[in-house]
Amino acid sequence: MSYAIGDTLPPFVVDSVSPAAMREWAVFLADPNPIHLDVEVVKAKGLGDRVINQGPINVAYLINMLLAAFPGGRIESMEARFLDNVYDGDQVVASGRVTAVEEGRIACDISLDVTGRGTVNAGTATVLI
Amino acid sequence: MSELAELPPPPDVAGFKLDGTEIFTISAVENAALCRSTGVEPALDGTAHPIYYYIGTQVAMGQTVAGLCAVCDFNVEDGPMMGSSTARFAAPLRTGGQYRVSGEILSVVRKRSRKLGVMDVLTYRLRLHELDGRTVVETDNVWVLPRKELV
Repeated sequence: MSYAIGDTLPPFVVDSVSPAAMREWAVFLADPNPIHLDVEVVKAKGLGDRVINQGPINVAYLINMLLAAFPGGRIESMEARFLDNVYDGDQVVASGRVTAVEEGRIACDISLDVTGRGTVNAGTATVLI
Repeated sequence: MSELAELPPPPDVAGFKLDGTEIFTISAVENAALCRSTGVEPALDGTAHPIYYYIGTQVAMGQTVAGLCAVCDFNVEDGPMMGSSTARFAAPLRTGGQYRVSGEILSVVRKRSRKLGVMDVLTYRLRLHELDGRTVVETDNVWVLPRKELV
């Protein structure tokens, strides 16, 4: 398969971010921060009225998009900046665009957007193909 | 004198070691659950989800999240926020793989932002090593620590 600068990568869509997944990730991350588990804590802190997805899950969505876009490829490096929160029930779309093509290596801009609210993560990645 | 110069200095913790003492093992069962929780099936070739770069380093560094905040004289209850995360992979992570963590705090910089007021920007670096010492992945994480008491 060939790639060119400007190619858009197939999006990875999560139709509804799941609070059940947040509970699993509290265990994976060994981090029981209640803003991911208890909506009353989120309200008390003035952070909204839905539990907040753990940041690394959002990075995992970006990784899923990259691995699906480049079957058999391997991520060499990536950077993700956290611009806003993702909440329980949000629809999120991970997407990317090719910015450089070298022998065996593709560079991309990547982003995660919440439908109706805009970009919540943005960054770059290089994938060995 | 600038506004920042009127503030107390941030904690002097650059160089603080975050070396882990425990071995972190990526369980195939947990990897499968993690993959499915993000909407994908686990790989069939024995590679783990690459997000284990973050999980493995966080879980097996020499501090809990609350402990890392405390090193920076910050109460985790005050709400640390992720600023960015960078990863550089030398090789894939593998299910059943066993890894050690090394790392250190790179910097804590005090800033004033229009949105958050006074905040400390913590940057720390962690590495996952094979048990023979080879580095598999290196990550730099940036956290924002709002200093409400200094607003």
